[in-house]
Amino acid sequence: MTTNAVTVDHLSKKFRLYHERNQSIKSAIMRGRTSVHEDFWALKDVSFEVPEGSTFGLIGSNGSGKSTLLKCLAKIYYPEKGSIGYKGRVAALLEVGSGFHPELSGRENIFLNGSILGMKKAEITKKFDEIVDFSGVEQFIDQPVKNYSSGMYVRLGFSVAINVDPDVLVVDEVLSVGDAEFQEKCAQKFVDFKKAGKTVILVSHAMGAVRSMCDHAAWLSHGELVSIGEAKPTIDAYLNSLNGAA
Amino acid sequence: MSYIKEVFASRELLANLTLREIRGQYKRTIFGRLWSLVNPLAAMLTYTLVFRFILRLTPAPGDPSGLDIFALWLLCGLLPWTFFQSVVTTGMGSLLANAGLVQKVYFSRIVLPLSVVGSVGYNWLFEMGVLLVALVLFGAFVWPFLPLVLVVMVLLAIFASGLSLALAVANIHFRDTQYFVSIIMQIWMYLTPIIYPISLVQDQSDAHGGLFGTNITIMNIYQLNPLERFVSVFRNLLYDNRWPPVNDVLLCAVWAAAAFAIGLWIFRKNEKGLAEAL
Repeated sequence: MTTNAVTVDHLSKKFRLYHERNQSIKSAIMRGRTSVHEDFWALKDVSFEVPEGSTFGLIGSNGSGKSTLLKCLAKIYYPEKGSIGYKGRVAALLEVGSGFHPELSGRENIFLNGSILGMKKAEITKKFDEIVDFSGVEQFIDQPVKNYSSGMYVRLGFSVAINVDPDVLVVDEVLSVGDAEFQEKCAQKFVDFKKAGKTVILVSHAMGAVRSMCDHAAWLSHGELVSIGEAKPTIDAYLNSLNGAA
Repeated sequence: MSYIKEVFASRELLANLTLREIRGQYKRTIFGRLWSLVNPLAAMLTYTLVFRFILRLTPAPGDPSGLDIFALWLLCGLLPWTFFQSVVTTGMGSLLANAGLVQKVYFSRIVLPLSVVGSVGYNWLFEMGVLLVALVLFGAFVWPFLPLVLVVMVLLAIFASGLSLALAVANIHFRDTQYFVSIIMQIWMYLTPIIYPISLVQDQSDAHGGLFGTNITIMNIYQLNPLERFVSVFRNLLYDNRWPPVNDVLLCAVWAAAAFAIGLWIFRKNEKGLAEAL
């Protein structure tokens, strides 16, 4: 009997499409209103469950609501309706290196970024060597990160994030960071993650990656769930629909 | 309750963000942290020149300390004010300044404005330390009053964070807030007895008596300003070296609690929509 790591229950998320938005008091008063808008439902009544220990892919075309769903899962957006239930600690990897301070050294930024991602200081200290090792920037760890190459910057950010060690990891299109060697390391890390019984939810347009990594997938289109199930049939159905439309 | 727990759980993050501000602030400057002293010193010199030597303001000597140095008298009010002002203005912009973070990572959002209080407060402690040394050198006996000075400093910090929480949210919805507040702050400073003694206001108030046939005097209205009490308590303790009236300290505490409660309530109400509204 497997339990569900994440339960998404009738989730709906609304955005306002502004035709007129008065973000200054003057225009708000002159026009007598703060905005004219219509509602746009980016997610409509989405429900699914992610079994514990599985790798779950979200697929769909641009604008289908994948990222919105991911941000709801990461607790950055709050849904209008429905709820999301978690089991265990959730970490989201929507962007790497968020909160790095360019003038501070790599070492200081590891501690800063780690605590933004919810790690305790003792935890970071314990994993410090591992993080530095994984990022491959040992030599420059005491340099300010503004002097890092963009690859080094991203690798360091990713190393911190991957070491948060959550029960559920929510990942946006960040797998494509660094050079081939680093990508290899990342892929290995995800395999380890899975072996440790952790759950991963990822969004990707790289169908090859989704196919090789995920057990289950959900296909979203215009904010609605089209199909959900085993990864391969879902991906095939999605790709077929694209070809059919073309 | 669960919210308090959550904020308490992010205390390490709060400490780290505060450190980020403190460490990052004076990087790549030759004088480093000394810059934090330059602003109050420059203000002190300007105001002393203009108000002491040109306009000939003479605040009463400290009673019972006997201090009669305009610059020190000024700083006892000016340092708390500059702290208050920069907490409110920087804290107000803290959500916007960290928009990237708010939109990408989940954490307790309140740590952003609170970390500003921490980093500005750190500079303030440093400045107050220097002022303390100066006061002692010129013969003030401040030691027994220090614990209460710290308490009032904390109260002022709470008051300032309450305002900055509310304004940070307002600034997300209306970007005018920041420009508006910078004007308000200028007026507010001159409505607070920082660079002139309150006795001058008392004189005017007595000269005019009750306004519009009522018992309300100019002084009554003037004293509605919460900063007026704070400044007077700081001067009592640091410059005069005597215990301030209990009512004054209580009033400061009430203002601090009220401002923080309202600020927190507004912040909590809007917290969930922040990532979208930015």
